[in-house]
Amino acid sequence: MNELRIKRGYSLNLVGAPSPDLEQLNRPDRVAVLPERIPFIKPRLKVAVEDTVKVGSVLFIDKRRPEITFLSPGGGKIAEINFGPRRVIREIVVALDEKEAFEPFPKLDGTEIDSIERLDLITTIINGGMWPLIRELPYRDIARPEAMPPAILVGMDAKEPFLANPESYLKGNVDLFRSGLRILRRLAGENSVHLFTSPRQDYVRQTLGSDITCLVSGPYPADDPGVMLYHTKTSSSENRAWFVQGQDVLMLARLFAFGRYPTERVVAVGGSAADRPRHFRTRLGVPLIHLAPEVKHNGDVRYTAGGLFRGYAIPSSSYLGIYETALNLVPEGNVPGELLGLFRPGPRKPTFSRAFTSRVHRRALTVDCNVHGGDRACIACGYCTYVCPVDILPQFTYKALYAGEVEEALSHGLLDCVECGLCSFVCPSKIDLYETFKQAKADVYLEQLRA
Amino acid sequence: MKLIERFFNTTRKHFDAGGRFEKYYPVFESIESVFFGAPRVTQTAPNIRDSLDVKRYMALVIVALLPHYAFGVYNVGYQSHLASGLSTALLPVLFTGLKAVVPVVVVVYAVGFFWESLFAVVRKHEISEGLFVSCALFPLTLPPTIPLWQAAIGISFGIVIGKEIFGGTGRNFLNPALTGRAFLYFAYPVQNSGDAVWTLLTGSQTVPVDGFTGATPLSVAAVTERFGDIHQALADAGYTPLKLLLGTYPGSVGGTVTILSVVGALFLIILGIANYRIIVGCVLGMLLTALLVNLLASESSIPYMHLSPLYHLMVGGALFGFVYMATDPVSAAHMQGARWVFGFGCGALTVLIRVFNPAFPEGAGLAILFMNLFAPLLDRIEIKLRIKKRVPNVG
Repeated sequence: MNELRIKRGYSLNLVGAPSPDLEQLNRPDRVAVLPERIPFIKPRLKVAVEDTVKVGSVLFIDKRRPEITFLSPGGGKIAEINFGPRRVIREIVVALDEKEAFEPFPKLDGTEIDSIERLDLITTIINGGMWPLIRELPYRDIARPEAMPPAILVGMDAKEPFLANPESYLKGNVDLFRSGLRILRRLAGENSVHLFTSPRQDYVRQTLGSDITCLVSGPYPADDPGVMLYHTKTSSSENRAWFVQGQDVLMLARLFAFGRYPTERVVAVGGSAADRPRHFRTRLGVPLIHLAPEVKHNGDVRYTAGGLFRGYAIPSSSYLGIYETALNLVPEGNVPGELLGLFRPGPRKPTFSRAFTSRVHRRALTVDCNVHGGDRACIACGYCTYVCPVDILPQFTYKALYAGEVEEALSHGLLDCVECGLCSFVCPSKIDLYETFKQAKADVYLEQLRA
Repeated sequence: MKLIERFFNTTRKHFDAGGRFEKYYPVFESIESVFFGAPRVTQTAPNIRDSLDVKRYMALVIVALLPHYAFGVYNVGYQSHLASGLSTALLPVLFTGLKAVVPVVVVVYAVGFFWESLFAVVRKHEISEGLFVSCALFPLTLPPTIPLWQAAIGISFGIVIGKEIFGGTGRNFLNPALTGRAFLYFAYPVQNSGDAVWTLLTGSQTVPVDGFTGATPLSVAAVTERFGDIHQALADAGYTPLKLLLGTYPGSVGGTVTILSVVGALFLIILGIANYRIIVGCVLGMLLTALLVNLLASESSIPYMHLSPLYHLMVGGALFGFVYMATDPVSAAHMQGARWVFGFGCGALTVLIRVFNPAFPEGAGLAILFMNLFAPLLDRIEIKLRIKKRVPNVG
């Protein structure tokens, strides 16, 4: 087992960490899929409102690759299809039947997985609607089925505030997880599957033992596959490694074990405004209000699908997307700051800098979504370079992009960016570095696809 | 407290879009945000942002400069009363000091704020706090006898030519306060150099009383003819190491007090505002270069070459410049390695300018400006070296 220590990054100590208890939630009335939240795809609907669907029926396909299908996480009637600006498909909502029907998929046990042709395996995964869970670095689009991955990375940790902890979804599912790894090993062919976790994940280490290939320690985002790849790769042929989230390995395994489209999800609900911060066992595409019917805050609360750094704000009337395993609730912060807060010592202000006294003790802090400052030009304080886990020089890369020098930004390692959001977080000038890099990466990718 | 809140709430409508003073919103915003943070929330990921902003970052530098102002007020008054033969009791001294320093500060801030507001209004961006630091630094580098109109012209040059024409704070490549100071030095040498300008005369006095020489330690060191015995020459003029540390001698308003610069350096380094690499680099550069100059000095060389490295560090405003001017993050080198080289260059050049160019007794300011010009080159070299180590990932 290799060990890797990541030095750069930053972990905030925040209140509202979800407790490890796992609570079974009632079945919701409705579930949904959010095509808008799946990056890069061009969805084409295959259903209309009022259509009847089974669990595993095709809801929409990706126009770029019509063979890749996105299946229904529930059986019942299509209740709504909601569109956003420019007809982007926001939500496909399924009202669940009392007794749901299931599309049948082939069941494969361990030996069958090992003996099946790799291409047939891929077809089975695609038809089972699980292919979108396998993604490709550096752009994080859905993996190309025809490609041979240089490696498949599976991260089993949750450093971002707050994500579902591996322990809560792994408990009772260890054998299932192992068979999921078996599928990934077949997909990787000659190349290897890297399962990595943090030395602090005792449960994962005890139960998965020899399957773990690497222990990665360090602050957020040391749990990201891109960080692990950056620190271990030796040649540029490894740049396009595939990665799968820990919980998605279980989904993959369930498809093969039960011959049904898997709909179970363990979701963490956290954040200072969460009434009951803990883990819930529930359905894929669960309504947010079902997860958090009450909040613990007087003012406005932001619902964040995913962690506080990479997640996105979403109305409480919406649903959880297929990639998301957490819901975070924090105060919106749309109120003026305290009088002369600029000159106060700030014992409770979350910060990476040392300019507040909150840095001298270990108390858990409350964070809100206020920007905490006005937009300024870069003053070259260098904080972004101190936190970047993959040694990009965000300020210089940003300036290169600002000047239209994409080539230079690429040579700085733009594509190694793991989109952790720390550079934007620490910036005292409140520059949207994360958004700029993400957009620039997407532009490079789309340019490549056109070529 | 409620009163202040109400004041902003009632006046805001005039500055918001559609209001009578819509154009002057940056001025309103810069004042309001001192009292209350704006209720602006994140629109894109990451959802949460650090509590630190540029306003606090810069305010902490000003906090570090306040002791220099306190000292400056005292020392200006004290030197003035010594030279004018008046009593050196604390209160009258402070009064004289305030009378000399406050008008300069007021004029500098008023003029500086005017220029920044003008550019902010025309360019439609908020007022950047770098201005307030520049305006706090600039008066501390001036002689106490500076005519107010020169202070106004100096800060105008520093802010407009040193900063705004390149796009404002963050886009300048020279330290604005030093640019303004250098401008005054070259444009009005009579009021900005020589022995006479560093002491303000009070009352009816037009020449200093007998026994008072306005000579600064730097000028003593530069003109002494006592070969090989420069430390004795300084001591004879009253410049013991203790006095050099405390800075109670004629000089710029707040730059001479080396001991406070040390305190300020620690304060800014601990809070993570100033980069220790630059400051330590400056000090190392100065000590090593001075040592080298010492070693090269022979019996017949100029006495200044014999000045010991520690004296170099203590005399004049070198450390003040290193701690507050060289560490300006915008105009200094941005890369960690380049910061060492940048600092070292500042220290080394200061010694060379002081020793070998008697026309410029204090070399720190010019050395820092000179190294500001080289900072982008140093950064570029380091970035190139760094990129070579990466495994390419270019799509």
